[in-house]
Amino acid sequence: DGVAVLPAPQNLSVQSTNMKHLLMWSPVIVPGEIIYYFVEYQGEYESLYMSHIWIPSSWCSPTECPECDITDDITATVPYKLRVRATLGSQTSAWSTLPHPFNRNSTTLTPPVMEVTKDGFHLVIKLEDLGPQFEFLVAYWRREPGAKEHVQVVRSRGIPVHLETMEPGAAYCVKVRTFVKVIGRHSPSSQAECVKVQGETLPL
Amino acid sequence: GLRRCLISMDIHHIEEAFQEIKKTIQAKDTFQNVTILSTSETLHSIKPLDVCCMTKNLLAFYVDKVFKDHRELNPQILRKISSIANSFLYMQKALQQCQEQMQCHCRDEATNATRIIHDNYDQLEVRAAAIKSLGELDIFLAWIDKNNQGTSA
Repeated sequence: DGVAVLPAPQNLSVQSTNMKHLLMWSPVIVPGEIIYYFVEYQGEYESLYMSHIWIPSSWCSPTECPECDITDDITATVPYKLRVRATLGSQTSAWSTLPHPFNRNSTTLTPPVMEVTKDGFHLVIKLEDLGPQFEFLVAYWRREPGAKEHVQVVRSRGIPVHLETMEPGAAYCVKVRTFVKVIGRHSPSSQAECVKVQGETLPL
Repeated sequence: GLRRCLISMDIHHIEEAFQEIKKTIQAKDTFQNVTILSTSETLHSIKPLDVCCMTKNLLAFYVDKVFKDHRELNPQILRKISSIANSFLYMQKALQQCQEQMQCHCRDEATNATRIIHDNYDQLEVRAAAIKSLGELDIFLAWIDKNNQGTSA
C-alpha cells in the first residue's frame, strides 16, 4: 500500500435532487499533476454485518473529477457510508469519509416540468422523464366556480398523455406533482397552467 | 395486510439486480441436483395465513446467514449482492414497523418449513450452501412477488 503522503480530499457532501445523487468534495491540488480519486461505499448491510467490506463505486474508481454520480450505487432506502481517497502514481491519501451516512429518502423532490397543450378539443400533457421510480399525479379541472378536480396517475414518461376532451369556450387548468414509491414521498405541486379551447395558454 | 407493508418495496429492481448475476452465481453451484428452497414441503406449500411469517423468516435467512457466508471478490457481483442485501434489510425494517398493526404470527407450518430450509443449508459446506441459496434467490423473489405484491413495481 502506497505511503499516504497526499492530503485527503476534504468537504465531502452529497447533493441529491429527484433521486439523482452526486457526491462532491474539494479537489486535491498538486501543481502540474493529475490526481485520481477512488470512491467506495458501504450500505447499512455492510456496516452491520461486514464492516470490513467497502465496495468500489460503479463510475468513480477511479475518476479525475472531484465529484461522483453515485445514483447507481445507492439502490436501497437505507443509510450508505461513502469515502474518497486521492492517488498520484504510487502515492495515496488517507480515506475521507462522508460525515453522515446518506439515505436516498432525503433527496430533494422538485415540482416536475410539464407542457400543457391542446390537440383540437383534447387537453394533452407532456411530462419530463425523471426515471422509472417516478409516478406523476396530474390534477386538472375546468376553470369555473365549483368545478370538480380530477386526478390521474401517469407513469409513462416523456410522451404526450390525453387528459380530457374539452368543451368549446371553456378554460381548463392542470397542475402536477411527483410520487416516489420507494421513499414514499411526494414533490410539491407545480404551478397550475391553463388553456382555453381556441385560445392561448393563459397565465394564472 | 402484508401487501400494504411492502408496498414501497421495489421488488422489480431486486429482480433486475439478481438477473444480472444469476448466470455467474448459478455456474458456481457445484451441487446442481440439490435444492435448499424448493423442496415440495417448503415454499410451495405455504398458506396465505403463513406468508408474513415465512417472508420474515426467509429475509432473516438471507440477511443473517446467506449474504454473510458468501465471499465475493468480483466488484460487479459484489455491487448487485449489496443492492439485494440492503433491500432485504429495508424490507425487514418495513415488516417490523408494520407488525404492530398486523398479525404476523408464526404457526407450525411456517416454522417447520423454515427449519427444513435451514437443515438443507446446514447439510452443505457453508460456501457451497451460500452460493446455492444465492442462486435460488429467484425462487424466493417469485414467491414474494406472487404472495405479497398486488402488482410488481
